[in-house]
Amino acid sequence: MDSSFLNMEFLIDTFFVALSGVPVALLVTVVAMAIALPVGFFLALTRINEIPVLNWFTKIYVSFVRGTPIIIQIFVLYSVIPLILSGIFEKYHIDYPVYDINPLWYAFIIFSFNTAAILVEVFRSALKTVSQGQLEAAYSVGLTSSQAYRRIIIPQMLVTALPNLCTATINLIKATSLGYAISLQEITLKAKVAANVGYNYLEAYIDIFIVYMILCMTVEYLFKLFEKRLSRYKYTTA
Amino acid sequence: MEKYFDITYLWTTIPQLIPFLWITLLVAALGVLIGSLLGLLLAMFKLSKNKILRFIANTYITIMRCTPSIVLLFLVYYGIPAFSESFLGIYLQDVHTGVYVVITFSLQFAAMMAEVIRSAYLSVDKGQYEAAVSVGLTPFQAYQRIIFPQAFVIALPNFGNGVISVLQEGALAYTIGFIDIVGKANLIIANNYNTHAFEIYIALAVFYWVLSIAIEKFFGRLEKIFSKGQRSLKTS
Repeated sequence: MDSSFLNMEFLIDTFFVALSGVPVALLVTVVAMAIALPVGFFLALTRINEIPVLNWFTKIYVSFVRGTPIIIQIFVLYSVIPLILSGIFEKYHIDYPVYDINPLWYAFIIFSFNTAAILVEVFRSALKTVSQGQLEAAYSVGLTSSQAYRRIIIPQMLVTALPNLCTATINLIKATSLGYAISLQEITLKAKVAANVGYNYLEAYIDIFIVYMILCMTVEYLFKLFEKRLSRYKYTTA
Repeated sequence: MEKYFDITYLWTTIPQLIPFLWITLLVAALGVLIGSLLGLLLAMFKLSKNKILRFIANTYITIMRCTPSIVLLFLVYYGIPAFSESFLGIYLQDVHTGVYVVITFSLQFAAMMAEVIRSAYLSVDKGQYEAAVSVGLTPFQAYQRIIFPQAFVIALPNFGNGVISVLQEGALAYTIGFIDIVGKANLIIANNYNTHAFEIYIALAVFYWVLSIAIEKFFGRLEKIFSKGQRSLKTS
């Protein structure tokens, strides 16, 4: 009975196929995060300090990203970026085939675009929890703006932002499963292609499911460790 | 793909898409309805004193949080028919794909709601229940008249966010061949030999954007209405 339900051999073989997609998924996650963290923080500052034009721009940007499904964002960006690029290439007479660009580059752009907007809100709410007096006290003892932020504000803000950052990271890892739409060779696409041969889709998706479980639980565990480390100051002063 | 952007094309496609908007909304609404009931059950599991029930609820929520929607969708779509065929001997080939879509998003929404309901319930002070019982209400009445109305207001914003996210995850239903607004858009694109894809995607983005903002505004309004009543109760 069991043999007709699941093809065990295929299940085990494909698990390693799915596993081989992990580096790409992680690479996209890390690069997207590395771009989105500073951009998100900077845009959050423009929202908090109500800088005229940027504030307005950030508001619309965040609203758009939060208001539309990621898959639609992928569709839109994946069709608009080649249009823009081919326009630029034509203007400057660069002879490069636009449609040969590695999907990895699109993935970096699309997922940074998405995550940065999420992080704006994460940082904005975290920055609000640090009281204004902290910044004033830092100024009054003679720190410059960048020193005050680096040494006083950001370390405190990070502690409150960390749970939300963890959620954002996990959502980002999960979102890379949509990379199939831009033919990115990640976990889901690789296992799915392997399943195409014998229509073993159920086995392939069980493998994909297990791989994502392992990834997410590891990330959650790492964030928990990091959170403990960062909030050390709370216990030592108490 | 066309080299230019033809805005007039939008006016001819949007009327074609609107009838399918209802399918998208219907699926989301069913997901929210069934998911809320399941979520309530899970929240009760989480709050119960029974270790096994708590473990079940926690495991379920962790699994749902870690699984990408598209993977869950395909697991349900391929898994349920295969399972019922080989273990129960029931053939489910003729079941409409919409059923699988609704099941998937109910499962997902339930995990979200379990956390929302639990935290809303815990945020209502325990003294409220004790006071209600001490003036002679039965435990059921106390929940119905005292605890629920207060927890409901607290849960509203998170509930609204959950509804928006179910609506958005629903955009993936086209991957199993379900014809909702995204599925229809892809059909239109295919019929046009992949031209004007960009305009149609923009139209889709606008649809979702407007819907999300409308839902957000609606829940904001609801919250205001309900917390108004609460304030007048406190002062009187």
